[in-house]
Amino acid sequence: MTIQGTALILGDHVNTDELHPSRFFSLDDRTVRSGFLQAAAGYEQVGGSDLSGRVILAGDNFGCGSSRETGARAFLLAGVRAVVARSLARIFSRNVRNLGLAAVECPALPALPPDIEVELDLARWRLLVPAGSLDLPVTPLDPFWAAVLRAGGLLPFLGLGEATGPAPRGSLPVFRGQP
Amino acid sequence: MTPQTLTAKLLRRRAAEPIVAGSEFFRIAVDLVLGHDATIALLIERFQRAGRRIWDPARCFFAADHFTPPSTPERADILHRYLAFLNQECVPQDLVFRGISHQLLVEDRRCQPGMVICGADSHTVMAGALGAFACGMGSTDILALLLTGEVVLSTPESIRVDFEGALPEWLSGKDLALEIIRRLGEGGAVDRALEYHDRTRGGLTMDSRFAVANMAVEAGATNGVFVPDDALRRYLAERDGAAGPAPGFEGAWLQPDDGARYVQQLRIDVAALRPLVALPGDLGRIVPADEVEPRAIQQVFLGSCAGGRVEDLAIAARVLRGRRVAPGVRLVVTPASQAVFRACLRNGIFEALHDAGAMITNASCGACGGIDKGLIGAGEACVSTSNRNFRGRMGSPDGLIYLASALTAAAAALTGTICDPRTVLDDRVAAGLPAAAAGGAA
Ligand code: SF4
Repeated sequence: MTIQGTALILGDHVNTDELHPSRFFSLDDRTVRSGFLQAAAGYEQVGGSDLSGRVILAGDNFGCGSSRETGARAFLLAGVRAVVARSLARIFSRNVRNLGLAAVECPALPALPPDIEVELDLARWRLLVPAGSLDLPVTPLDPFWAAVLRAGGLLPFLGLGEATGPAPRGSLPVFRGQP
Repeated sequence: MTPQTLTAKLLRRRAAEPIVAGSEFFRIAVDLVLGHDATIALLIERFQRAGRRIWDPARCFFAADHFTPPSTPERADILHRYLAFLNQECVPQDLVFRGISHQLLVEDRRCQPGMVICGADSHTVMAGALGAFACGMGSTDILALLLTGEVVLSTPESIRVDFEGALPEWLSGKDLALEIIRRLGEGGAVDRALEYHDRTRGGLTMDSRFAVANMAVEAGATNGVFVPDDALRRYLAERDGAAGPAPGFEGAWLQPDDGARYVQQLRIDVAALRPLVALPGDLGRIVPADEVEPRAIQQVFLGSCAGGRVEDLAIAARVLRGRRVAPGVRLVVTPASQAVFRACLRNGIFEALHDAGAMITNASCGACGGIDKGLIGAGEACVSTSNRNFRGRMGSPDGLIYLASALTAAAAALTGTICDPRTVLDDRVAAGLPAAAAGGAA
């Protein structure tokens, strides 16, 4: 699988409150979309613009902080195609992949000019930057995450997307200590 | 068998086969799932489309703490939908409106050592203070968990943290939490577990341990776990009454193996630490309070799952009793739970804080996540006992959030500036200070 797009470049330790401030927490997609990048200094305008076809390139520990999934959802609603960071925060990377969006680590990712075209090759685990003649290694995803992405997200992977009739309900006692 | 860390032992006893061939991820059976009004509301629609019921409602530990009471019509609607969902799925509602989910979890006998606990909130890690594997997740993971009773996790490697020495009177769990992040770096524990060993003289209080475990996620950790010991046994005996700790409490299953492999080890001599402050923006700049450039502050927030417990409010009351907060400073006090609230009512803590000029709110998240009752404006500075100082977290992106212990926060409220809090403790304590520190800003 290959994903092409125009880079949108973010820095190190960009946290979820910057990516998506809590005041945009909502069940309404328009509100969620409008919160994208609204506390990332210098990116407020960009966040509101058309970002379809973008690939996010970021530094270390991208997406640290809260588990609010509205933050990850805002990436999808904005039309972002993939997230590549030198390193990713744990909950955020799970959230993004669970929604079917590729999030991978490229430890050798250098500083790049804005809006450069990139190509993420998920079969060979490479990030290509044709203009800079760069061909960088991407850390291969665990087979579980690769399967989740192929399925289009966690729920389709687990076969939990659509109604299949009521499941049996357990009535186990609350667990206390070693059984 | 190779010796294992506590986290590995807790996870592996609940693990089935790898989820796909060659994967390091396993299906893990979960004992308890934590949720609250904000993040559970995000999954209700998708839950209903799946057409199933919750696998075991008795294992749902669901609070309402974010939008309580709601500050906008939309939040009222979110809360309303959430409560209707609880009704429909027969989820126990005894926790609703009683305070912050994470605090309720550690106060409740449903939460026991050795459990695997997953929550729809990053600070679920706090329950690791009770010797459980506890980790936070997003709504899709939790949705799958509610439908199946399982999550998919890999076993993180562990970083061992040993606390040693005697804790000075001017330090508490928040300073230790900040010291760990200062040493490891903001993302220093991503995909790792923190395994805490309390070897301090006299031992850390449980409230301090909660503060430490709460901020495991600020270092990026999957989970943080205190190795069960006598202090935990005493806490459980008091909390659960006759039931006390479960029979297996002594067992080897609740201890790391001798010779377990750690990717890193931190020894923290607590006697040598000074009160710490995280400077605004992120957790990358953590410095001793006496080195912070003095700056007028407009607000002090005593609250959150990281710093709104009895220990925190008691130390603030000790500093502020019989005094007034500096003119113009808003002191917002939000206890972490109703039990904390009640304790502070009974033992005079609220009276002292109230008389000093505090504004006391109901038990909830409040200003911590920039939700309500204590947001800050552009150019304002707030000293907060919460866990995140991220840009915009408590209101304006141009407001400044300093994180510190309740003592340091109370000292700031009293003086109107960030200062070395040892200088505002009573004379007896101040007299015992090293000469260098005694000269700090008063
Ligand atoms: S108090 Fe703050 S950190 Fe804790 S659960 Fe509430 S919003 Fe999150």
